[in-house]
Amino acid sequence: MAGVAAAGAETMNAIYDTVGIGWRPELAAGILDHHARIDLVEVIADDFFGEPRRVRALKTLSAQVPIALHGVIERMAHLVESISPLFWSEHLAFVRADGIEIGHLAAPPRSDATVDGAAENLLRASRIVGVKPFMENIATLIEPPGSALDEASWISKILSASDCDLLLDLHNVFANGLNHGYDPKEFLRQIPAGRIRAIHIAGGKLISAPDGTQRVLDDHLHDVPDPVFDLLEEAAALSLNPLSVILERDGSYPSMESLLAEVSQARQALARGRTRRVERVEVPG
Amino acid sequence: MSAKQFEAFLARLYVDAGSRARFRSNPLAEAKNAGLSNAESKALENIDWVGLEMASQSFANKRELRRPRSRFSSLTDRLLRVISFLSDRVRRHSGRRGLE
Repeated sequence: MAGVAAAGAETMNAIYDTVGIGWRPELAAGILDHHARIDLVEVIADDFFGEPRRVRALKTLSAQVPIALHGVIERMAHLVESISPLFWSEHLAFVRADGIEIGHLAAPPRSDATVDGAAENLLRASRIVGVKPFMENIATLIEPPGSALDEASWISKILSASDCDLLLDLHNVFANGLNHGYDPKEFLRQIPAGRIRAIHIAGGKLISAPDGTQRVLDDHLHDVPDPVFDLLEEAAALSLNPLSVILERDGSYPSMESLLAEVSQARQALARGRTRRVERVEVPG
Repeated sequence: MSAKQFEAFLARLYVDAGSRARFRSNPLAEAKNAGLSNAESKALENIDWVGLEMASQSFANKRELRRPRSRFSSLTDRLLRVISFLSDRVRRHSGRRGLE
């Protein structure tokens, strides 16, 4: 295990961050070959439902590397019980309504009504699974129609109402900042740092809008851009919690060495942020 | 109207080009036809039109990627891969012979 202890924090309570990779079948051999260089693996739970052989394989994997589960609520309880993950997580999104399948994560209107609805759903999910999920912010190409709240306030209200912690997707923050004209670092300062427990990093691409402008598509097919590592440093500077950082890659896979280099960059960004936090605590003002 | 009904209205806009076209030509009327309140209909007047088209296209791409492929098409894919592999081998082999 190669967890990151905050540099210069030995005199305080050291914070042990962990950095890992999202499990994908295409990366399985590489992850198993290099598991000593990976602190944790995040598994998409949907791939294991109704697949007892795969669950047995997952149990074997969990003996080697700590596992986090990511995915849908249905049938999550059984998997959580079988695997005992570090945490499980879900998205602050809807994927279908009134029987209409949208095909991917869509942002609900950011309003008090959806805050209440999300809090109720999360309470129900927590009862079913037995453990509260970490909730993840999503990327969106459209400013959610019918919104009365900004994204930071909406997320903060849901976390407070549901008493859930946050899986902060930094590429989504980066993408939404660019797509909807806000400063991602300011966004990080507006959400409750004490709720940040896990972090996703990924890469996307710029796509052209019909009006000639460009927006970021969060496709997980590209390397993590530098601004996302900057945001990781910022999050580590703001948060007191040990953070579990997952590199997400869903295709156009580079070599395992390239992915491990990104894992290493994430560790460095965390260490820089932790050092800044310690300096801020030691030298007030 | 509940948040769920509002989300259903959005879902229709995201997946159905006809709904989007009707909404674009008369947002207030389309929203009211769907049962949205005055306040909700008004809130949709400032919709991010560019984002709506981009998000709808992105969702359509995702649905296409997830569309279950028939056994026939997957068999066809495999056959095409085998044929392409064999024709590559033949091409390389003839190229080598040409060089000799």
